[in-house]
Formats: sequence, C-alpha cells, structure tokens
Amino acid sequence: MKLVSRTHRAQTQPTEQPVSATELRLDGLWRVVVLNDPVNLMSYVVLVFRRVFGFDEATARRHMLEVHERGRSVVWSGLREKAEAYAFTLQQWHLTAVLEPNEAL
Amino acid sequence: MKPFEVRLVLPVVVPLLEVIKGQVRELQSSPAIPGDSVPSSDSDLSEAWRSELLTSQRGDLELFMALFGDEFINEGVIAFDAANAEAVIRSCSAVRLRLRERPLKGLGDEALESGDVHLDTVPEDLRKAFMCYLFLATLQELIISRLDDGAP
Repeated sequence: MKLVSRTHRAQTQPTEQPVSATELRLDGLWRVVVLNDPVNLMSYVVLVFRRVFGFDEATARRHMLEVHERGRSVVWSGLREKAEAYAFTLQQWHLTAVLEPNEAL
Repeated sequence: MKPFEVRLVLPVVVPLLEVIKGQVRELQSSPAIPGDSVPSSDSDLSEAWRSELLTSQRGDLELFMALFGDEFINEGVIAFDAANAEAVIRSCSAVRLRLRERPLKGLGDEALESGDVHLDTVPEDLRKAFMCYLFLATLQELIISRLDDGAP
C-alpha cells in the first residue's frame, strides 16, 4: 500500500535507520487520534484497529469503546512520519484520524 | 476468508442501487472523510495526501460496483472473496458517510445512529436513501462476520 510521506525525508532516510536525538528534536512525538463518527459500525471500527495496528480483539474493542463513549481515542504515538502513515491508512478505511503533538512525552 | 455468495431480492435492491450509484459518482472526485482531516499545513503534502486517498477510494469503489454486474442483474447474486471483501466494506463505509452528508442530512445523527426513523412519514427519496444506508451496513456486518479474524 502506498503511503503519503514527506518526499525529501523519505529519499534521504531509510525507515530502518535508528531514530536520532536530532530527529526527535526536529519532529517531536505525535499522537494518532481517532474521532467518533455516527456512521461507522462498532464491528467495523474494531476490525480496522485490528487490521491497521495488529491489536488483539480486547485492545481493539477498548479503543473502539473509548472512541464511542468519549469521542476520541489515542491509538498510537511516536514519530511524525509513522504517525502520518497510520493516520493515512485509517483514513483509507474512512475513520476520522487526526494527528496531535504529544507534549507529554 | 472462504468465498461466499449472497442472493438479494432484485425488486428491493435495484431501486437502492440507483441511489448508491449516485453517491459513488460523487465519490470519484472527493474523499468520503472530511477535508479538514488532512494533518498538514503544507499544501503540497495535503494535495498528495488527498490525491492518494482518492486513488485508493476509487480502486475500492470499482471492486464494489463490480458486485452488481451480470450475475446480480440476472440472478440477484453477489459474491465475496478475499480479493474484494475489504474493498467492499470500505466502500460501504464511504457511501454511508456520503449518504449522511448529503441526502440523509435532514435526519440528524441521532436518528442515524439509533436507526429510529419512521419510514412511512418521510419523503420517498429520503426513505430510499435511508434504506441504502441500512442495506450497506448489513453488507458490512455480513462480510465482517465471515472474515477469519481481525488480525492483519
């Protein structure tokens, strides 16, 4: 699956390369947040979480219920580029996924 | 997943298909999710993001609409397998999101979520759009129940 990435960084930094302190300082850490919508079925959201993140059933259900009851759930946090890739994949599944800076880390 | 077929009642589903086709036409030119979900102020990245989402969505919709070919028209049968199942459930989601945004906007999210709509009191076009909304949810549930498991 082709993912959107920042072209310049993708060309100069293989994804396998260790994360440097410089990179962390430049990009910071980001949260992938899924927002509630009144359309997508609970069973569908659970399936998407399992497919995209490899969550087990219980973890996927916990995040789905958090989205449903609290309106949002943080499903992943880490470097910006990978967070973008996850948000993009979630949007391909038509979930409303947004990125937020993870200021707590 | 094991391939499976579903036989639909043609006189019920064909009128719904016209509504679905209308939404699918619209989804050829705009992603189903809201435009402000693109997480970047960089206009080049935003455009690339939107464009790739749209390409992916179009590919899914092509597989979805292929369900309603000759076998469906002649016998009312649609067939699912590992090659189309995920694309179909994503497409159902896309069309349902678009139905909510456009023809079903007047019903309100509470009614959509609860399904508590008095069909005999709403206009014909709204009734048909809501029946599509339910039909697509049923297709999704059916496929999800047949998928081996949710793991990647």
